[in-house]
Amino acid sequence: MPTLKIDGREITVEEGTRVIEAADALGIPIPRFCYHPGLPVAANCRMCLVETNRSPKPVPSCYDICQDGMEVQTASEKVKEARRAVLEYTLLNHPVDCPICDQAGECDLQDLYFDYDCKPSRHAFRKAHKPKARTIGPRIVYDAERCINCTRCVRFCEDVAGAPQLRQVHRGEKTYIDVFPGTELDNPYSLCAADVCPVGALTPKDFRFKCRVWFMKGVQSVCGECSRGCSVRLDTFKNEVQRVKPRHNPNVNQYWACDAGRLAYHRFDEGRLAGTRIRGEEVAYFDAVARFADAFQEAIGGGKQVAVVLSPFMTCEDAFAALTLLKAKAPGAVYAVGGRVEGEADDVLARADRNPNRAGLDKVMGAFGIQPVPLDTLHEAVHPVVLVFGFEHEEQNHARMALQAAELSAVFTSLDNLGDVETYAFPTVTPYETYGTWLNEFEVLQRVRPALKVPGEARQARAVVADLAERLGAPLDVASAPGLFDAMAVAVEAFSGLKLDDVGPFGIKLSEKPADPSDEPDAEEGAESDDGADAEDAADIAEETAATEEA
Amino acid sequence: MGKLVERPEPDVIIQSYLPEVWNGMKRTSRHFFANLLMKKGIATIQYPDEKVTYPPRFRGNHRLMHREDGSVRCVACYLCSTACPADCIHIVAGETDDTDVEKAPTVFEIDHLRCIFCGFCEEACPCDAIRLDSGEHRVPAFCRKDEMSGKEDLLSRGAPSVSKQGGEFK
Repeated sequence: MPTLKIDGREITVEEGTRVIEAADALGIPIPRFCYHPGLPVAANCRMCLVETNRSPKPVPSCYDICQDGMEVQTASEKVKEARRAVLEYTLLNHPVDCPICDQAGECDLQDLYFDYDCKPSRHAFRKAHKPKARTIGPRIVYDAERCINCTRCVRFCEDVAGAPQLRQVHRGEKTYIDVFPGTELDNPYSLCAADVCPVGALTPKDFRFKCRVWFMKGVQSVCGECSRGCSVRLDTFKNEVQRVKPRHNPNVNQYWACDAGRLAYHRFDEGRLAGTRIRGEEVAYFDAVARFADAFQEAIGGGKQVAVVLSPFMTCEDAFAALTLLKAKAPGAVYAVGGRVEGEADDVLARADRNPNRAGLDKVMGAFGIQPVPLDTLHEAVHPVVLVFGFEHEEQNHARMALQAAELSAVFTSLDNLGDVETYAFPTVTPYETYGTWLNEFEVLQRVRPALKVPGEARQARAVVADLAERLGAPLDVASAPGLFDAMAVAVEAFSGLKLDDVGPFGIKLSEKPADPSDEPDAEEGAESDDGADAEDAADIAEETAATEEA
Repeated sequence: MGKLVERPEPDVIIQSYLPEVWNGMKRTSRHFFANLLMKKGIATIQYPDEKVTYPPRFRGNHRLMHREDGSVRCVACYLCSTACPADCIHIVAGETDDTDVEKAPTVFEIDHLRCIFCGFCEEACPCDAIRLDSGEHRVPAFCRKDEMSGKEDLLSRGAPSVSKQGGEFK
């Protein structure tokens, strides 16, 4: 365990720690281009030079291992001059096309130029010209002139994505990154290669010229593409998701996320269920609630069998609200869990179960003693009353068949994709508009946060359930997400003793949750309005963003 | 408490108003005959026959400058709309066929009902693409739609700009 001093501050680190990691742990800023905590060290950009008492010349701090008794200077005049010279060299052939560069505003070159150099170029000759705006993969555009050859993308593809598709070609100032002949950068994590790029050399096609980065607001949420539930940041502008970026989470996804999950927001570009409908006719929402509640009451009064299709895309809170109502009003109901069909798992992140909250749904159903039947057997028996939650059942026809066979049916969905087979359709929100928690396959509970305003007639599923419960004469105690979470912490054993505040930016592993306090929180005391929670949440997000950016 | 001021009692001469009428008529007549006989001193501009020339730094209608080939200089970098305090510039960026340029606006709209003619947009522009030096002031319109200037309208007022884009040694 070597102890060293960085800028006069002492720190003891693990054997083998790099100086830059120790400085990061102390919060001392060291500029870098090629170093990335999730990638092997290359030490080729030389931007992270520091002075140590172990070497007469400045050394790259990303490569130097901490030694006992080491003294490191990160901001001496010699270091600053060395970095300034390195930066001038890096910028020698840079095209300075920031006005058309998508990276402008979050570009390390831009920021460090203002920190270290801030002088016009002394390069009095023609700049080296290299390929510009070259499509090197189905989702990536490459600009060789902007590239500083830090090889982060090369190392990412080799070591993380497991698809060595990139390499450096040529020598000297003509060096640039290219794919091998006849291949393209098409691995399922290719967008992360653009993320690790510290400049605007690799840019995602999906985001090309779409929005300037300084307009966007980031919301920390969770990806719903598979049961891994990668931590992501939803960047939004003008109430639209502009892009999805992975966010560092050592519990779940490290620094990465797959392309499919990051482009999944396009699923909601079209086909939203616009209004509340009864047999295809648009009606006022509260009329529909009243009519459906009355019809439902009559049906269960007549002893008719109720079948419910739950969705593993629902937040735990929505599922808890729905089950609370259904257990009270229709105790004999049959339950099935729908969701997207299984996909393929890979060695990096993607899981075969393409639904984000199946584990959470199981826990909530378990608390109500529900044993779900397989969805494909649901239509074999006759269920006169069918309720379907969620939007993603279109890949499986069973939900539609069950709806067609029913006398009274209702869907609670954001996408209008089941065809007009239901009697009642209530528009609900997408995972980008909701607030709640998802539990991933590895039992890490994470918070889903709304990035967009809820459009038009749509409502949170729990709000619709609460309105129905009111009309059915079995009102819910709480209907807000934080209130429901507190109620869940009492009722669901896996979540017992958990508070929403315990679920931080990295989520919480259920195996590591704090010990169950003796006085369990009262469900109703914790109830807050959604709005209040969102305001609190905004502060949370600001804090978390600051924390992750520092890290 | 205020101070009490005594008002002087006006005498007969003042109450007759004649001396002041005379003074006023004298001044009016002097200007009348001076203007009638020596026309140089008149301050009035005979609008619309005569028009004031605006000073060169006057900020009037916006215009978008052209490249040598007549295409728009703007590269849709959004710096003008970022700088705009009135949020009146709406840009949608798109690709161009010119591989040296790559990016150009497909929509460039200025909402003159919002614009306050502060000139921040031309200050922010890195390409000398937007200018407010057309020398025309904004005329009122009958409907809101006419107060929106699109790309074609802004380009029609534009002229070729000779400033170097992307630095000296391209």
